[in-house]
Amino acid sequence: MSESANWFERQPLWFKTAVFYEIHLRGFYDGNDDGSGDFRGLAEKLDYLQWLGVDCIWLLPYYPSPLRDGGYDIADFFSIHPDYGTIDDFKYFVDQSHQRGMRVIADLVMNHTSADHPWFQASRNDPDGPYGDWYVWGDDDTRWGEARIIFLDTEPSNWTSDPVRGQYYWHRFFSHQPDLNYDNPEVQEQMLNVLRFWLDLGLDGFRLDAVPYLYERDGTNGENLPETHAFLKRVRSEIDARYQDRVLLAEANQWPADVVQYFGDGDECHMAFHFPVMPRMFMAMRREDALPMVEILEQTPPIPEMAQWGLFLRNHDELTLEMVTDEERDYMYEEYAKDPRMKLNLGIRRRLAPLLDNGRDEIQLMHAILFSLPGSPVLYYGDEIGMGDNIFLGDRDGVRTPMQWTGDRNGGFSRADFQQLYLPPLMDPVYGFQAVNVEAQLRQPNSLLRWLHRLIALRKDHPVFGLGTYEALRPENPRIFAHIRTYEDDIVLCVHNVARSAQAVELDLSRFEGFVPEEMFGRTRFPRIGELPYLLTLAPRGFFWFQLRHDEGE
Amino acid sequence: MEEQELRDFVTGQRWFGSKSRTVSTATIVDRATLRDTDPALELLIVEIRFDTGTHETYQLLTDDSYDALSDPRHIRELVHMMRGGSRIPAGDGVVEFNPAEGLGGAGQELREARQVTAEQSNTSVVFDDELILKVFRRLEPGINPELELLRFLTERGFANIARLAGWYAYAGKQMDATLGILQEYVAAGVDGWDRSLDTMADEAASEAFLDTVRRLGEVTGRMHTVLGSDSADPAFCPEETSSESLGLLTATVDEEIESIFLDLPDDVPELDPIRGRGEEVRERLRLLTNFGGTGRVIRHHGDFHLGQTLWSDGDWVILDFEGEPARPLTERRRKRSPLRDVAGMLRSFAYAASAASILRGVEAPPDWEARAREQFLEGYRDTIDMSLVPSGAAMEKLLTVFELEKAVYELRYELNNRPDWVGIPVAGIMRMLEQEAPV
Repeated sequence: MSESANWFERQPLWFKTAVFYEIHLRGFYDGNDDGSGDFRGLAEKLDYLQWLGVDCIWLLPYYPSPLRDGGYDIADFFSIHPDYGTIDDFKYFVDQSHQRGMRVIADLVMNHTSADHPWFQASRNDPDGPYGDWYVWGDDDTRWGEARIIFLDTEPSNWTSDPVRGQYYWHRFFSHQPDLNYDNPEVQEQMLNVLRFWLDLGLDGFRLDAVPYLYERDGTNGENLPETHAFLKRVRSEIDARYQDRVLLAEANQWPADVVQYFGDGDECHMAFHFPVMPRMFMAMRREDALPMVEILEQTPPIPEMAQWGLFLRNHDELTLEMVTDEERDYMYEEYAKDPRMKLNLGIRRRLAPLLDNGRDEIQLMHAILFSLPGSPVLYYGDEIGMGDNIFLGDRDGVRTPMQWTGDRNGGFSRADFQQLYLPPLMDPVYGFQAVNVEAQLRQPNSLLRWLHRLIALRKDHPVFGLGTYEALRPENPRIFAHIRTYEDDIVLCVHNVARSAQAVELDLSRFEGFVPEEMFGRTRFPRIGELPYLLTLAPRGFFWFQLRHDEGE
Repeated sequence: MEEQELRDFVTGQRWFGSKSRTVSTATIVDRATLRDTDPALELLIVEIRFDTGTHETYQLLTDDSYDALSDPRHIRELVHMMRGGSRIPAGDGVVEFNPAEGLGGAGQELREARQVTAEQSNTSVVFDDELILKVFRRLEPGINPELELLRFLTERGFANIARLAGWYAYAGKQMDATLGILQEYVAAGVDGWDRSLDTMADEAASEAFLDTVRRLGEVTGRMHTVLGSDSADPAFCPEETSSESLGLLTATVDEEIESIFLDLPDDVPELDPIRGRGEEVRERLRLLTNFGGTGRVIRHHGDFHLGQTLWSDGDWVILDFEGEPARPLTERRRKRSPLRDVAGMLRSFAYAASAASILRGVEAPPDWEARAREQFLEGYRDTIDMSLVPSGAAMEKLLTVFELEKAVYELRYELNNRPDWVGIPVAGIMRMLEQEAPV
């Protein structure tokens, strides 16, 4: 049999025009009535994702795990958690996705394993054995004090003492997640085997979790070290040599100037998340000022032509506020986390709709801005129907509740008894499954889901959004976020009003004199652009996308 | 062979599908020597790569020229190899030739061969009016649905097809792909589209045609029943649809309607009956989809209309199981409701009734379309396995939704390509608006 990947016409830059959709497998659809989502269930819902316009599914970790960190604590890299099915179920799902023209990438944690992983157990029990040097051990907990603690709410130190081995082990995240020792060539080689194993099964790439922390060096904060980049370059060259059209997406929660290093010279990761732009979008909405977005985009260095930013509004983690100043963080907490329960580490554990007070105009405007920026958008499951959260659930479970398919029992997520469900579905009157579900929104032409479907279709009709240049317009009215995207003959003008009130704006479009702006949703032609500033009025939280067309009429 | 020469040859062919794209390279990714003695014959798998980094794959058969298929000796050789079940190693895989069982006349010496190539995606050659060889040019990974469905139907004794005589395929690292099929040639047949138009002017002939339409319905129902009969074969077993399947269909059709009514041109008078009535059409769609599901999904014809049927020897033969050639192969192999085929045929009756006047200057009898529909559906209901379609009113409604979807598609196509034909989909949409509202 030929390889599953050959379902596709080869397309090395597919990820630059793709729409990504992040799925928490446990919460998507239960195919075997045990209360927990699984691969068979997910495969049943692929028609929905294809309809929505998803090009690539991103799966959270599905490996065997004690699940003390949502599966990011991996106990076996070569297998599937029994709750989710078998390797055969995985292959069936990937194959079914490919048949629908969708690709699949999966989370992979390279930095650490679960403390339950047999490698760690061997390492702690037998320091001189084959795994003795697979983790980062120290006789005391004093080294590398410059490295910050990421999970501030739970971890007092990056070192934890292990009574079995009588030493301390290093962990950048939870103490039950010891860091692997990348100075050991066997660890590097084994991690490459992990990558090959899944790529051979048809996977289209990886979202590389926690990638800046692979190495530790004296006198540094242990982030973005040259050794880390060298290893990632090796990963990339191994993949390029054997596989086609695969993608590596880096999770590096860093400032833009540091993140761009993860693209290398086009020889490292294909994609990286743009973390800092996201909180500034929320900030811009509250302050009714486009400046935070404009500024961070100005500070974003250019990236290689073969590379792409991953852009998102929300994901499975807390809304991270690591990449903002202290002042900005205080502001964000003040505005978006009025209840202290909403805070987690340096972030806010809420979903998109509740963050925006369930404002339909605000949700649409945020998506429009996201889709207009240079990069590929990554949607988070449930946000397309405006699902809510449950801040009374622990850690980040509040944003990982079951997908709401119908108004029926368990929201159509599972036929198991309610008590069996991995988490209770939302049942409150505003966000509960009786009010918010896929079935109802499919049938309502004006629903958020149907609107977003049209937005995705429109974006896919115009490769300019994924491939084009970005040029900010700086109108005098600070409440207007406006820019021009250009790719070959396709010129798109995007104008967004972040204010709660109607606004007028004058745009200097003199170099497009003679062009006619055509509004892209309704295909309405606006007045021809002349020498004078172009005047537009926008509704509160309203936006326009125009295609600038040569005027053929005159 | 020079790369430039190869590129020029492929891009200059009628079957080369991407004439508007910029080709950057043409590469032979695999080759097999099918015959090394005179007349030598070689098979090439050629990858055409575009400036955007994407690619397409084509099949070439060459001797000292690039186009060996113009020489009947080579084509006979291909047929001989199918009969003999040859296995020919390629550089990176194998080319497998296979005979199909029990085809009469398959052992005879082939005499006359003529190319009948009218198709975009393949080259066809007819032998002695008995066999037809179809060589697929543009290759896609996976089994070609034409081969897959013909084999399935042949093996289960479905008689109303041109039987399969053999096929050849490539299996290699690059891809597994069907390269060509050999099947019975129905020489004495008249295609259902021509026959409907030919008989339209004469009352007795048109009555006789309508009588055969009932049979066409029976044959179609039987075809679907057979295609949905094997629950042990994963490629064919009928499947239930998910709870949101009707919602997805509704949303898709609704957005199509919304989009096309958004910019109907002002200068096409044929549009007047439906102009400004987009919201009414959408409302009607909502009434049609307010309950129920989409029934089960099965493999089906995929591009079903009168032009895919032949009247031969007092019965219908169904042709061309390739599906819509513009769609990717994986999509053409997807299971869908069999009622999509039915809707395709019903729309085809609407086209025939109007085409008689547009093409032949003949007015169809006023109730021709209504009677053709009735006859066809009666025959279909007699033979379709009712477990494959929704029952009673739900079936009517779903069928109407598929017809509406088709009519909206036709409207867009005709507006862009054949403004004279716009009246046909308009009448289809009007007919639906004028029907009594569904309950």
